[in-house]
Amino acid sequence: MADTSHNGHKAPDSFEVRILRQGGPGQNSYWERHRVKHEQDMNVISVLQRIAANAQTVDGKSVAPVAWDCNCLEEVCGACTMVVNGRTRQACTALVDRLLEDNSKEIELQPMTKFPVLRDLMVDRSRMFRSLQKVKAWVPVDGYYDMGPGPKQSREQQEVAYPLSECMSCGCCLEACPQYTKVELTQRDDESDADFQKRKNAAYDSSFIGAAAISQAVLFNSHPTGKNTAGERLDALMDEGGIQVCGNAQNCVAVCPKEIPLTTSIAKAGRATTIHAIKKWFDR
Amino acid sequence: METNPSFLARHEFLIRRLHSLSGLIPVGAYMCIHLLTNASTLDSSATFQRAVYQIHSLGHLLPVVEWVFIFIPILFHAIIGVVIIRGGLPNYGSYKYVNNLRYTLQRATGMIAFVFIMWHVFHMHGWFHFKDWREGIAEPLGGAQFAPYNAASSLGAAMMMWGVLYPILYAIGVLSCVFHLANGIWTMGITWGVWVSPVAQKRADRICAAFGIVLAVVGLSGIGGAVRIGDHGQRYEEAKAVEEKMWDAKIASGEIDPEEGLHKRSDTNDGHASAE
Amino acid sequence: MAKKRVMIVGGGLAGLAAAMKLAELGIDVDMMSLTPVKRSHSVCAQGGINACNDQTRQLGDSEWKHLDDTVYGGDFLQHQPPVKEMTDWAPKIIDLMDRLGVTFNRTTEGFIDRRRFGGTLYKRTAFAGATTGQQLLYSLDEQVRRWESEGKVKKYEFWDFLGPVLDENGNCRGCIGQDLVSMEIRAFPADAVVLGTGGCGLIYGRSTMSMVCTGSAASRAFQAGAKYGNGECIQVHPTAIPGADKLRLMSESARGEGGRVWVPRAPQDTRDPKSIPEAERYYFLEERYPEYGNLVPRDIATREIFDICVNEGLSVEQGRQCVYLDLTHIDAQELTRKLGGILAIYEKFQGVDPRFTPMKIFPAVHYSMGGLWADYERTAEGGLQLASPVNQSTNIPNLYAIGECDYQYHGANRLGANSLLSCIFSGLIVAPGIETLFESQKGAAADLDASLFSREVKRHQAEHDALLKRPAGHENPYLIHQELGEVMTKSATVVRRNDQLDAAYATVMELHERAKNCSLSDTGNWTNQNVVFTKALLDMFPLAKAIVKGALQRDECRGAHYKPAFQMPSLKCEDHAGRRREAEQWCDRFDENNKKWLKSTIATWNGNEPDITYEDVDTSLITPRPRLYGLVGAEVIEEVWNERQAKRQAASGDQGNGAKTPVVAGAAS
Repeated sequence: MADTSHNGHKAPDSFEVRILRQGGPGQNSYWERHRVKHEQDMNVISVLQRIAANAQTVDGKSVAPVAWDCNCLEEVCGACTMVVNGRTRQACTALVDRLLEDNSKEIELQPMTKFPVLRDLMVDRSRMFRSLQKVKAWVPVDGYYDMGPGPKQSREQQEVAYPLSECMSCGCCLEACPQYTKVELTQRDDESDADFQKRKNAAYDSSFIGAAAISQAVLFNSHPTGKNTAGERLDALMDEGGIQVCGNAQNCVAVCPKEIPLTTSIAKAGRATTIHAIKKWFDR
Repeated sequence: METNPSFLARHEFLIRRLHSLSGLIPVGAYMCIHLLTNASTLDSSATFQRAVYQIHSLGHLLPVVEWVFIFIPILFHAIIGVVIIRGGLPNYGSYKYVNNLRYTLQRATGMIAFVFIMWHVFHMHGWFHFKDWREGIAEPLGGAQFAPYNAASSLGAAMMMWGVLYPILYAIGVLSCVFHLANGIWTMGITWGVWVSPVAQKRADRICAAFGIVLAVVGLSGIGGAVRIGDHGQRYEEAKAVEEKMWDAKIASGEIDPEEGLHKRSDTNDGHASAE
Repeated sequence: MAKKRVMIVGGGLAGLAAAMKLAELGIDVDMMSLTPVKRSHSVCAQGGINACNDQTRQLGDSEWKHLDDTVYGGDFLQHQPPVKEMTDWAPKIIDLMDRLGVTFNRTTEGFIDRRRFGGTLYKRTAFAGATTGQQLLYSLDEQVRRWESEGKVKKYEFWDFLGPVLDENGNCRGCIGQDLVSMEIRAFPADAVVLGTGGCGLIYGRSTMSMVCTGSAASRAFQAGAKYGNGECIQVHPTAIPGADKLRLMSESARGEGGRVWVPRAPQDTRDPKSIPEAERYYFLEERYPEYGNLVPRDIATREIFDICVNEGLSVEQGRQCVYLDLTHIDAQELTRKLGGILAIYEKFQGVDPRFTPMKIFPAVHYSMGGLWADYERTAEGGLQLASPVNQSTNIPNLYAIGECDYQYHGANRLGANSLLSCIFSGLIVAPGIETLFESQKGAAADLDASLFSREVKRHQAEHDALLKRPAGHENPYLIHQELGEVMTKSATVVRRNDQLDAAYATVMELHERAKNCSLSDTGNWTNQNVVFTKALLDMFPLAKAIVKGALQRDECRGAHYKPAFQMPSLKCEDHAGRRREAEQWCDRFDENNKKWLKSTIATWNGNEPDITYEDVDTSLITPRPRLYGLVGAEVIEEVWNERQAKRQAASGDQGNGAKTPVVAGAAS
């Protein structure tokens, strides 16, 4: 296990960062170059922090600092997803020395392409949370009074459920999915916020739901209590934009930072919807 | 701003599943039989001709069977396939994974297969069988070359109309179809939830690959068989002779009405196009 | 009349628990958060959540012992009734979370598995892999999403809390928020505002906390008149991974599962750690604390690691301070199953697999025990009056504080795996109180004269606009933040000295003035993170001042607050009689110190500085006793102490049942 950040080949004194910027929704995007001094143990977050502290392009022009989204910096919150050197990932685990090993000239940062850009590297991923609503990704408990322990579960059940439950809605699986396409609407002048939200939700609901939400539906359908509403989740998965849109490119599982077995979930959901559809047909 | 979702949207799940199913049954299954039948030219012209007679023993039912079990499913599979392709954005350039390449190839081979099959059906059968169309349009345009009752010889001749060009086009087309089917069976297994775990998917992957390789060999054999006949004057003549004998026997046994069967025969003296 | 609503600020464990419970009670909830609530800082909690359970019960554990461990661990600086209620609820909270689908690790038989954590001798800690906080948060997030889909909860994500709206009587009637995307500032009338906005680690520059943990929301309430308690009580986690952008937590569970902390006996031994023989390794925690070993409470582990590196010069590396945290003696597969998540973090950020190479770790600022002052209503038995609107309320009527941003549960030091418990508990308990509050309130905030809100919106808008119009070329907020972090980390973390704190206070005052002079590099009005950060920075100073001033004034050692100049001494005499005598003196001094300092620091903001007063602590349930970890002569002190206690108890004719002699009588409220 080579620790290339400390020994191995010598790191450069500084390096260039090429960032795809955009002032706001509907505006043109443009590339901008920054030069950043190299430090030990740097990641893309610290690069962006340095740029925020001193926002100057390589030509010495002062610019507004780059906007980006981040929070935990430990790859458990899912906030800082962006496209780094052409690949979707969390900026916090994108270590500069590793990136420079691949391309010593520069690091390229882009916002995710499947979600509307709010500004620079910041995107609106509310569609992901809408999808979780659509598949009813929760355990339908009666309430929050003390009712004793939950259903007993085997270690095997826990070991299947836990990885699925680690999904942090980061959106990598959707960014890399060739079947997941961007839905971006603009608020009309005469439209209220509530109406706009309604229109957005309708658009989200009819577009592909994606691997993350499918996997969550599978998670809750396997929970002893969650099972009770399994049919509703399957119905949601069979709606327009449901599991049938999956094209089995399997990029989702390859890019998932939490290594969630998304394609297994998709196949499980495929089986469940098959049976559910047949049952529904004959039970009519 | 209520908009009713379209028919396609409302029944998206059913349509996609039917699309998936139709790829295997009947389209895929038919393709296997078709390629196997064609490969029989390698055995002998007689074997092939026998197989064709077998198919044509359906008589007047044949067009019905062809439309219901072959043409309509293929058209359905193809049209929905185009809709699906339009809904995706292949990104192999950014995400160079094997399965992503297969996703891209599945779409590319699907498109190739669609064009190929349309052309192939025109080339061999001229799309429609009524006389004016066939003689007035299809044949002058190089279509409707296949004569079922001169199966091997007309096939061989049609294959060699433009030197090596058609065999190459056929090879591309057949290989596309084979990849599309073999890979399609694999993705279908995921879609329907037959193979679920990564281990199962890997195992299924190997089986589909083996199936694809065998089918590719069979398919290319069929083309090879046709080339073998069409490319060689003597074999062509021998094939014709066998076909004559079998025709005569069918007439003699009364299995075929000569009047009705005439249009399924090559025109007399039809050009043995290829150079000897 | 408009329907009454609650505004919950912050969507971590506490806020979500409150939202879910309020929705169940039929109350409409608005929820404001800097980040989508699923990304809240609670996800970072790794180790687990404590509760007495069927197994530990049979080994002698009880809710009472959990209470005892918690207040003992916290050096008795917390009011005991809320803690008692919390530890009583703990098993029920585990049950509830289990029902909500938290993927707790299981035993072979299918029960919830437990591990041992620091500061206790029982295996009380339920856990879900190494991402327990994430798993708990997700199940609450899911329940709140369920209510959201039913229209009972409305979320405002990517919104910043700018401050409460107070009416002419000083009652909170809502709050002002700013959309972080469109920069719109608007008022949210609310009949109760609940702050669950977490800790303030960013005041220290780099810490284990997430980027939203600036403490700005708590500070804004503080500046609006809310009291801030025990600010100086900041927990430094003993084991964190040093990093350029933040210090990443290495959970206590690494030690709970058998991780051993050591340094080579030879300073900066350059050999591969695995090749260093046992005899040449110094397992300093195990040697110094034979009973608890590597699982001593956090403050002690932190101090020892600090001591080993700073005072004894035994840091593993030359230029950087760190010690080994070694798991390599444990089966790799078992490690993956129990600690997979946190080990993956180490591997991801350091490029080394901790299953095969000892980790390098060092202490880092981790948790604010202190926070907004919150009240409670005590029952005769020493628990909480459950539906009382007083529980968790700040001194501003209708304004509540829950979770890490309140000061209630952890005293001067928090036990590992108690934070998740306190967050969920305080969130659950605030809801029925608010229900009662609503029954007594006349009219709804939404029906109030709109001018109350528009005035506040205008004020905040003016401040915002003024910031944007600052001339260029002045102070850089990011650099000031860096300076603030440095001075705070140096003076107000592991070891505190009055001369340094004095100097630090002056520096913080000066930095505050300079910060008021910041110019922005982004003057636009769309997703302007520059202005949002600058506002948060400005609001760090009142809390930073409260922390430093509180630390400066507290001349004693208590929990995480460690001032060597005021340390209780070890016994020096060698003979028993001499030791007895010294121990008697020691106990006298301990009692005296408690009389003076067993009090919560309460800061109020005077517009420029915090004013500090002190509040007695309700220790009516468990009498404060000395923490004797690692002290020379501890057994003699304990002997004397126990004799004294027995005498006191006999004198007061106590009936037992746990209620010990009160040292400071009566509840705070």
